[in-house]
Amino acid sequence: MIPQLVTVRTRRRDGRRLRLFIPVLPVVLLLSPLLLLAVLGGLIACLIFEVNAVGALRGAGRMVWALPGSQFEIEDGHIAVLISVR
Amino acid sequence: MNEQRRQILQMLADGKITADEAEKLIDALGREQPESAPRTRPKYLRVLVNAEDPGSEGPTRINVRVPLQLLRAGVRLTSLVPAKALTKANAELARSGVPIDLTELKPQHIEDLIEHLDELTVDVDDPGAKVQVFCE
Repeated sequence: MIPQLVTVRTRRRDGRRLRLFIPVLPVVLLLSPLLLLAVLGGLIACLIFEVNAVGALRGAGRMVWALPGSQFEIEDGHIAVLISVR
Repeated sequence: MNEQRRQILQMLADGKITADEAEKLIDALGREQPESAPRTRPKYLRVLVNAEDPGSEGPTRINVRVPLQLLRAGVRLTSLVPAKALTKANAELARSGVPIDLTELKPQHIEDLIEHLDELTVDVDDPGAKVQVFCE
């Protein structure tokens, strides 16, 4: 299953908090022209560096598919960052 | 041996039922009792760090949860590294005094390593810090 929601939470030194809920699918659709360019760039890079382009695409897809459930939380004193992928 | 199976064998021993009937009853019991659920495999690798630094404003806490599937997918990407790049990396490693031959490291080996991460537990207990690495 592809990631559906990315949550970013930050807490600054002055106590201000920021919470971002990023719905992945709408953002991907919005940025699809840029993504297409990025994929093309990646494919050209694969050709230049003699990497199997199909394998690279498949590997990248597998990684994106495996992302849901990831969570990174770092808290240092008054500063905190949380990134969660669902 | 469970109680019902014991009763069937007892009835057979007492001559109340024939061997065929006992066999049928035991078969029926086997069908009724579903096989025990397989052991659930861990899905995530967790890294927890709790550290107290007297110089800092407060404790440092790190909580990372990585799906094992993501590790597997990442490991599979290593198979795409071209042989030329591995040779160069080997040469650089040898020059730095680390004689590791990366071409000998097959994706299958790393995948086996990840497969056996299930039972990994690392606990580091220090007066100022605690580190835990485990799968859940």
